[in-house]
Amino acid sequence: MDTNAALANWLEKGGRHIGQIAIAKKDDGWELRHADDAGRDDLQLYTKTADARSLANLDDASAYRALKTAPNLRHGWRLILPDVASVRNALDAFYPAMLGVHLARERGEIVPVNLRDTLARQTGMYRITQKLTDAQSQALIAKSCRLDGGCLKTILWRISPELPVNSLPAEKFTTPGGGEWPLLCHEACNILVAEARKVVKGEVKEG
Amino acid sequence: MFSKPDSALVIVGHGSTLNPDSSGPTWEHADAITQLGAFGEVHCAFWKEEPSLRQVLHCVNKREIYVVPNFISEGYFTQTVIPRELGLNGPLTEIAGRTVKYCAPVGNHSRMSDLLLKRAASIAPGVSPKETSLFIVGHGTGLNDNSAVAAKREVERIRSLGLYGEVIAAYMEEDPLIAKWDELSTQPNVVVVPFFIADGLHSYEDIPVLLGIASTSPGAASATGAGVFTQNPYRLRGRTLFYANSIGTEEGFAEVILDQVAAFDAAAA
Ligand code: SF4
Repeated sequence: MDTNAALANWLEKGGRHIGQIAIAKKDDGWELRHADDAGRDDLQLYTKTADARSLANLDDASAYRALKTAPNLRHGWRLILPDVASVRNALDAFYPAMLGVHLARERGEIVPVNLRDTLARQTGMYRITQKLTDAQSQALIAKSCRLDGGCLKTILWRISPELPVNSLPAEKFTTPGGGEWPLLCHEACNILVAEARKVVKGEVKEG
Repeated sequence: MFSKPDSALVIVGHGSTLNPDSSGPTWEHADAITQLGAFGEVHCAFWKEEPSLRQVLHCVNKREIYVVPNFISEGYFTQTVIPRELGLNGPLTEIAGRTVKYCAPVGNHSRMSDLLLKRAASIAPGVSPKETSLFIVGHGTGLNDNSAVAAKREVERIRSLGLYGEVIAAYMEEDPLIAKWDELSTQPNVVVVPFFIADGLHSYEDIPVLLGIASTSPGAASATGAGVFTQNPYRLRGRTLFYANSIGTEEGFAEVILDQVAAFDAAAA
């Protein structure tokens, strides 16, 4: 089943939440808005899939959102889209790869990559991240990946086969229930790798 | 133009964790190609943004995937990072029942010269090329890539056409330095085209400061820096200077991406 069909299925079964976005069925199509904006009637209306990209790009203070799964999606808008194909494109902009990764996981194609393997693969200026200690890893993950203020994805990887991440609460490692579309981290992102470099180089204080 | 309804295209860009405009041109080229209907699916992937190179193949439904790097030259990213992150072992890789065809970067295409000429002509309308020094500005040094080589190659190609009074390659951080543009050139008109894939700190701020058409302003690494492109011509150091956006914002890039796919097929045939 391709991504559009799978999304249509999920919506059909009543799927309405992904990350900070609430989806609603309207007479003129599908409506996306920030879940916090439920009940607001003063939202600015957008109607193009391309609008999703600019809405996703900046937070409420117009700062750039390099990590699209950071819990700082801007407020104050609603996006009306005519069909599932355009909802798919909009969600690909709000939460890049998150439709695809979840579906790939359901097909059994996702093999989580442990942090040690991600770091071991690095070359060039990021090769130095291989020196990150286990303790530094735990502290860095606790700071960068935490659900409140860091990142909404569910972590599927460990630091190494013997060492799970134990510096964040269990909810960081379990997908949300209630028919929500999960945001999955099957491998540490490059933002975390870049932060690891700063830790190793002593550019940021640990802990 | 070809039609590949059963294939997917993945355009790979560098992206940025600091500059909100970095991935814009890559997305715009993808949108243009989607509009043309040339592929069954069109995706973007980035080194510094999402979808990442580690995620993108999971998002593709088609079994045949063309990957085109939206990079200005061959180099560390096209030869090391992209193959490593995507798991490629050459131009053709079978990954979990899919075929990934790894094409040459856009900057390698011979049509890049046409796009540079188009951009140069469009920012200085009515100005005689014969009385114009055309600068192609690259980064130079330190980036472990061949962008300086690529800029030189473009300069030689354009020079050989004999259209411009002068065609000069210059760099931000190595000789010949763009900061010395008035010493390097002799024509009354000067056209400067940044040889970068996207606008950002270099084109909004660094190069304008080196040219002397802007003073350093903090936080110009965003669309607020774009004003520098709207005030042409600049009159300074006894010349008339025209300053263009990075070449990667040229819409013709979408066609060059398609050309690189066609070139891959032609080479494989
Ligand atoms: S490593 Fe994963 S969980 Fe942590 S910030 Fe990056 S994407 Fe989010």
